[in-house]
Amino acid sequence: MTFHSLIENALTDTLGPTLAGFRPELALCATIVVLLLSRMLMPRWKEGPFWITAAGAVAALWLAAPWSQLSGGMKTAESIFTGMLLHDTFSVYLRCLLFFFLLLFVLFTRSSGIPRDTHATEFFVLILGAILGMCLMVSANHILIVFLGIEMASVPSYVLAGMLRHERRGAEAALKYAIYGAGTAGIMLYGISLLAGALGSVHLPTMAAAVVDMFAHDQASSRYLVLILGGLMLMIGLGFKLSAVPFHFWAPDVFEGATAEVAGFLSIASKAAALGLLVRLVVVFGYTPNADDMVHLEPIRQYMTLMIAAAAAVTCTFGNLAAYGQTNMKRLLAYSTIAHAGYLMMPVAALSALIGTDLTAARAAAGSMLFYVAVYMFMNLGAFAVVAYVRNRSGSEEIDALSGLIRTSTGLAVCLAVVLFSLVGLPPLAGFAAKFAAFASVYQAGLVLLLVVGLANTVLSLFYYLRVVKVMMLGEPSRYRPAVIIPLASSAGMVCLLCTVPLLVWGVWWNGLYTWADAAASLLCK
Amino acid sequence: MDLTTALPVLLATAWLLPLGSFALIVLFGPWMGRRGVGAGYLATGAIVVSFVLSLIALLGWLSHHPIADAGHHAAETVEHGHEAAASHAAPAEALKPVAGDWYALGRFGSLAITIGYYIDSLTLVMFTMVTLVASCIHFYSFGYMHEELGIVTDPLVRKANGRLLKRKGRFHRFYQYLSLFCFSMLGLVISGNVAMVFIFWELVGICSYLLIGFYIERKSASNAANKAFIVNRVGDFGMLIGLMVLWSTLGTFSFGGIFEQVRPADAGHELIVPDGMVHAAAADEIEQITLTAATPEEANQAIETATPGWRNAGYGQWLLIIAGLGIFCGCVGKSAQFPLHVWLPDAMEGPTPVSALIHAATMVAAGVYLVGRFYPVFTPEVLLVIAYVGCITLFMAATIAITATDIKRVLAYSTVSQLGYMMLSLGVGGWLAGLFHLITHAFFKSLLFLGSGSVIHACHTNEMPEMGGLRKKMPWTAYTMLTGCLAISGAGIPLLWGLSGFHSKDSILAQLFSFRIQNSVHGNILFWAAAGGAAITACYMFRLWYLTFAGKPRNEHVAQHAHESPAAMVAPLVILAVMAAIAGWKVPFTNVGVDTLIGQSRPVGTELGVGANTAVAVMPAERLSHEKPIHNTVSWIAFFTALAGFLVATVFYGVRRLDPDDVRKTFGPVYTFLCRKWYFDELYQLIFIRPVMVISRAVAAIDKHGLDWLADNSARFVKWISRLDEWIDRLLVDGLVNQIARQTHRLGLALRAVQTGNIRQYVMAIAFCTVTLFVVITLYWSYIMAAGS
Repeated sequence: MTFHSLIENALTDTLGPTLAGFRPELALCATIVVLLLSRMLMPRWKEGPFWITAAGAVAALWLAAPWSQLSGGMKTAESIFTGMLLHDTFSVYLRCLLFFFLLLFVLFTRSSGIPRDTHATEFFVLILGAILGMCLMVSANHILIVFLGIEMASVPSYVLAGMLRHERRGAEAALKYAIYGAGTAGIMLYGISLLAGALGSVHLPTMAAAVVDMFAHDQASSRYLVLILGGLMLMIGLGFKLSAVPFHFWAPDVFEGATAEVAGFLSIASKAAALGLLVRLVVVFGYTPNADDMVHLEPIRQYMTLMIAAAAAVTCTFGNLAAYGQTNMKRLLAYSTIAHAGYLMMPVAALSALIGTDLTAARAAAGSMLFYVAVYMFMNLGAFAVVAYVRNRSGSEEIDALSGLIRTSTGLAVCLAVVLFSLVGLPPLAGFAAKFAAFASVYQAGLVLLLVVGLANTVLSLFYYLRVVKVMMLGEPSRYRPAVIIPLASSAGMVCLLCTVPLLVWGVWWNGLYTWADAAASLLCK
Repeated sequence: MDLTTALPVLLATAWLLPLGSFALIVLFGPWMGRRGVGAGYLATGAIVVSFVLSLIALLGWLSHHPIADAGHHAAETVEHGHEAAASHAAPAEALKPVAGDWYALGRFGSLAITIGYYIDSLTLVMFTMVTLVASCIHFYSFGYMHEELGIVTDPLVRKANGRLLKRKGRFHRFYQYLSLFCFSMLGLVISGNVAMVFIFWELVGICSYLLIGFYIERKSASNAANKAFIVNRVGDFGMLIGLMVLWSTLGTFSFGGIFEQVRPADAGHELIVPDGMVHAAAADEIEQITLTAATPEEANQAIETATPGWRNAGYGQWLLIIAGLGIFCGCVGKSAQFPLHVWLPDAMEGPTPVSALIHAATMVAAGVYLVGRFYPVFTPEVLLVIAYVGCITLFMAATIAITATDIKRVLAYSTVSQLGYMMLSLGVGGWLAGLFHLITHAFFKSLLFLGSGSVIHACHTNEMPEMGGLRKKMPWTAYTMLTGCLAISGAGIPLLWGLSGFHSKDSILAQLFSFRIQNSVHGNILFWAAAGGAAITACYMFRLWYLTFAGKPRNEHVAQHAHESPAAMVAPLVILAVMAAIAGWKVPFTNVGVDTLIGQSRPVGTELGVGANTAVAVMPAERLSHEKPIHNTVSWIAFFTALAGFLVATVFYGVRRLDPDDVRKTFGPVYTFLCRKWYFDELYQLIFIRPVMVISRAVAAIDKHGLDWLADNSARFVKWISRLDEWIDRLLVDGLVNQIARQTHRLGLALRAVQTGNIRQYVMAIAFCTVTLFVVITLYWSYIMAAGS
């Protein structure tokens, strides 16, 4: 192969499938550039950052074109950037979810008044950067991209956690987050280097092939310690992003210290991306199209199933239990987020278990996770939005601040109640459908213990969510705080409705979303 | 007016008049005349008009269908070849019943429920008989129920304070029930389909129930009413099964429709298993054919071709038998046949006119009537069952009647016995004889009942040992009753002449004798049982008469108060006595009589008997029993058996040459057995009632000691539960929740201790957790690997 042909190949690859698949990310990059330029060129355009970001989100969404890609428009998965990224329905779905979230988030922050105008450009640039990193995470096909994506998503988050609060707690939270993140990143990088060294490659499918080869020739026994350690360390990096126990320590502190908006962003976007990455890793190391090789991957699948299931069970239980004693709404939601990370990992464990035996069921498991993520996005954003609006009026983020909300802002209180009930997973809300689908796949995978833990947790979670509802519905409005009067017919109310109505709709009619989620999972195992 | 249009109109009017009377009495009864006496006039008027209309209808029928004279009959009897049968079949063909529908109640799918009519000479004779007897009884009741016009003191009911019960009279209510009964009974007779029969069947049952329990305050009366009702339901259950089989296989309820299918004209009116039943039984084969055939037409063709083969192979035979047995089951209940006869003697708790009308003349005969109606459907097997049931009933009831001392009970058992005769007769092919006996029996038995009512009215007791020597005090009653006794015993001069019972019983015995010739085993059993029964009948009837009217008064007190009944009661007695005497006669110089009249309605195809080519039993043609050798033999046998019974009764009770007490002592066990009515009540008590009572008592006990106890203690229980609940709540639920809260709080504190906010510790935690996890996983993994290899 001559240099010329090398260039030729790279060029063809880049200009052909790569650019086509990478257009949404490029749009985000362009948005960042435009944002920075607008700050310089039109410093007086206060609203500029919102509009530009929103336009960028819409453009990215448009370029990702889920309506065509997820409705049979995409038949095969494509490796782009010469195998660095994987462009398939799965990445389309999650990226579109991220873009859509970005759009909602822009609307939300616009109406909640944070960031203030002076910081808007930086804020949105950081957000866009993080989203870009997350897009890399969900499309990663190369272990360096994995690391790169996680870091690209994390570094802006560190800044975001501290930038909007000019007080000690915000700075502290940001610092803790950064150091904690750095620690886990280091461990992950170590794990990556171990794996790369042991398997002789950094390209994920090649690594998987090497594992198969290793197991096929029975060379694994000499190196399985390395593999286990490498795998564990890689998982720790992901665990940090997922705030899985015991790598969750950062979450409550950061959520409490950061603004509700940033907390919402962290709790949703980075979770979605981390889960996407987790699924990618599970599929890459758990599945090859060759049936003979599948047998050799059985130990790997077992390992992953065990790890993920254990992490899910512990995370879920811990999150729910720890949420009990909380008085701060954001802290409570932080633990709720941790718990939901557990719920969300359950179908991934099921996927890992099923991928070797029943591809249809595995696809359903992945689909149920993707469905859950979408629902979760609305639920959590709604919860954090209400917290932000209440904070704006009352100046408090304690649960007490919600006391008697039903009398002052009926619509808002109802929205929050719907969101909380959906978080519990009560029918006829989308949270129920999501949980049901997830638990169904767990059951199908035969992970009975995990199912029991999940169900028990659902019951456990009822209490602390209901406590909030009780305070909201039965409590008296505080006399020492300004009354929270937010009508539904306001931008804030609209955002809340925007988060709540889909929960009601999907609770009854989940086919539409589930069809997309299923389509997104369809190309994983091909 | 054409007969086919006139008959339905006449009979419908006769039928509906009592209904109108009933409706009016229900609405205005208490205000009709002085204390409701007008209700009696209204009801009596209605039934008398009904009788007149029935009579007109009967005469109309006769004028259109004159009965051939005896010469033709005799000629036919002599040459009983096939030509004769053919010539006999021809006029039968002409005497088609007048059938049709008045009104369609409703149509449920293919099930049509209609109010229709099926009028032939049997219907007309029944109509005339029912309305005549009913008219007599309506008149009679004016006298008998006279007390009910005022305040009644019931001598048999004591209130809690020991005084006798006083209540308002219920004169109008009595006539109201009588009218309803007449309507129901006539409806039953005129019914054109089985569904309608069933409706009126139940209606007469309800009337019977209401009238047995007329003295509702008497415990025995209400018990008897319940018993009658419940026992009848057992029979009706079987009848329903029969109806379901008929309808589901034949698709129709109408008599005409059923008979056409069971005895189709193209099969020479021979009894065959109808296509519907064959197909129902051969459902599997039909399914096979339907599955394999190319087109539905082809399948139908194949099924049609295969049907005769299936029929010959016996398909559907059992359905026909079940249908027949089911229908007969209903008749067993209604006509008080063994083993459901137990209700009828108890039904005597009702007023005596009711016993006469319902429980002697009409309703209980409805079972026999229905068997006669359904005669074409019965297979030889079913007929044999009917014969045996009838035979057992007649013998058993007759023996019980010997020892009974309650005058009405004697008559009740006599009724059961006579109904057994009718069933037996029908069962052995004596269709005409059985139905003929039904009519004659209706007259003499209602006469006997009314006479006994007259006696009871005079003596205020039912016990015959308390009576005696009453013939001087109440001669009309005594001698009309003597007529009845003679009639039921079949008194007459052999071969020549006799009272009505003589004719009808002779023909039954003749048919039995004819049957005995063809079926030696069954025939001997049935014939001698029946003949013996005839002797016993004469015996107990004269025992009754002697005990009541002959000799010297045994109870002076009773005798002193006794008096002849008022004219309203005596007149019906006389009318019925005349009827009891002449009902079996022919109209002078013609061949017109009840028997020949009924004979016009003989079901087509049964002239030659039933079961001629089966192994079960041969029911010979009734014609054969009229042949001289048979008839003469039987006449003498009947005469001597009846005479024997009469002589025994006379020796014991008339001239008192022998003391019944000696016999009683000699045959102690037999006597007790008979006194105990063959222990039927005890048997049923033991095998049906006792278990039910035990179960119900057990349930009641559970209810009382379990559920009631629960209910009684529910407050305490709930309190206890709530305390327990509270305890559980406090200790377990609250405790658990609190504990969880406390633990989570503690955990939270612990976590807060972990969640120090100290970043150094956080980083340490990362390292620590990583190492720990690594160790744990490695250990676990090596364990897995070791286990795997």
